[in-house]
Amino acid sequence: MEDVASKIIEILKKNMKEPPETIPMETPLSDLDIESLDLAVIVFDIEDTFGIEIPYNANEEVEDFKTVGSVVDKVKELVAANG
Amino acid sequence: MNNQQPRRVVITGMGVISSIGIGVDKFWSAIQQTECGITDAKNYNTEDLQIKIAGEVKNFDPKEEGLPKQFLMADRYSQFAGMAAREAVLQSGMTMPLKPEDGMRAAAIIGSGVGGINTLEDSYHGLFELKKRATHPLTLLKTIGSSAPAHVSIEYGITGPVFGIVSACSTATHSIGLVYNMIRQGLVDFGLGGAAEASLAWGTTRAWQGMRVLSPVGLYPFSKRRNGTVLAEGSGILMLEEYEHAKNRGANILAELKGFGMTSDAADMVNPSIDGTAGAMELALKDADLAPADIDYINAHGTATVVNDINETRSIKRVFGNNAKDTPISSTKSMHGHALGAGGGIEAIACIKAMQDNYLPATIGFDEPGDECDLDYIPNEGRKSEVNYTMSNSFAFGGLNAVLVFGPAPA
Repeated sequence: MEDVASKIIEILKKNMKEPPETIPMETPLSDLDIESLDLAVIVFDIEDTFGIEIPYNANEEVEDFKTVGSVVDKVKELVAANG
Repeated sequence: MNNQQPRRVVITGMGVISSIGIGVDKFWSAIQQTECGITDAKNYNTEDLQIKIAGEVKNFDPKEEGLPKQFLMADRYSQFAGMAAREAVLQSGMTMPLKPEDGMRAAAIIGSGVGGINTLEDSYHGLFELKKRATHPLTLLKTIGSSAPAHVSIEYGITGPVFGIVSACSTATHSIGLVYNMIRQGLVDFGLGGAAEASLAWGTTRAWQGMRVLSPVGLYPFSKRRNGTVLAEGSGILMLEEYEHAKNRGANILAELKGFGMTSDAADMVNPSIDGTAGAMELALKDADLAPADIDYINAHGTATVVNDINETRSIKRVFGNNAKDTPISSTKSMHGHALGAGGGIEAIACIKAMQDNYLPATIGFDEPGDECDLDYIPNEGRKSEVNYTMSNSFAFGGLNAVLVFGPAPA
């Protein structure tokens, strides 16, 4: 499951103009250099990579999308539910 | 030309098809009864979709509606345009089809966000999924985004400027503004302006879902619980006419189109700017030679996304200043849904009806004001009130803004 975290960080970096060297799990998504449309692309990328559907709505602030770690947890949960 | 009075443009006909009714009378009575056309989608399979609701046009049978044969072979979007155009033509009292010498003096600018995309989706389904060897011979003609104005021109003998334009959710408003300017410039004496949209389908809903801007529950503009927009379909088309032309034939004048403003944010595909949206409102007011205090009602773009409703509120405050709090605003999308390219046409009709009946349409589904949404959004119930001048806002993805200002028929 640690693989999930590294894959997500890889996806985040891929979609950032100047990605930092490391992205700690507790980093708030709002601190990363990503805009709303980038986030839609990132969510799509994650869904595509893990074969899951994430019910993310750009109009809502939800706990699942607060930090990098919370996204990782949500994805792990969805992957487990899928398996 | 310089010594002549500027040509004035009036509205002599309107046609609408929407999730809350086919025809202006049904549409307007639904608005007054605060009906909501957003329901579980029935025309496509929503089983594996996250978004299962939409503002579909219900019980629409083009044959039963008596649409001419050419429209029966067309895409649903063209059929909607055919319905709305016919209603506008009939109301105008214009003798149609036009004689050849009159046809050149008429325009039909009927746009669409995506034209006949349902035809394309069906065709691809057949080719890719069902492995059909061929696609229907009319696939191309049905799909192209200029098929609606072409069909309408054939039906009514309109031989002047005929085409469709695209500006996503501002399409109808830009189209109406374009006909307005053609008439003012003397290019034509009258014309149909508006848009039609029929893009509700499994594939397009998937594409919209990916944007993450749709609400799974409902369209609640400016309110606390709003969580996105809801797609809809329909058409709104106006008959615009040069004032003297209308007067000379004794036409019943419904309203005057006083002003038109358009701008582009040139900034971001999805995040609107205050400069762009406020700029379009300012230009429309200037064109109309009116002050913000003159406007009795604003039909907002009001999509119920978090960003639009805050940005639009800020823009209105910038343009209207101290008058902002006293200017009633509503988003009728709360009732008919977001008909995308057609939205501005449907909403222009709501503005004109508001003036005719001195009635302010409500924003329904309003629980409590959203953060930073602190203007008068006419929550949940419409109001009787004197309405002389109205403004209709359309702000599209890509930052393409168009605003119309309507006034009473010239005395």
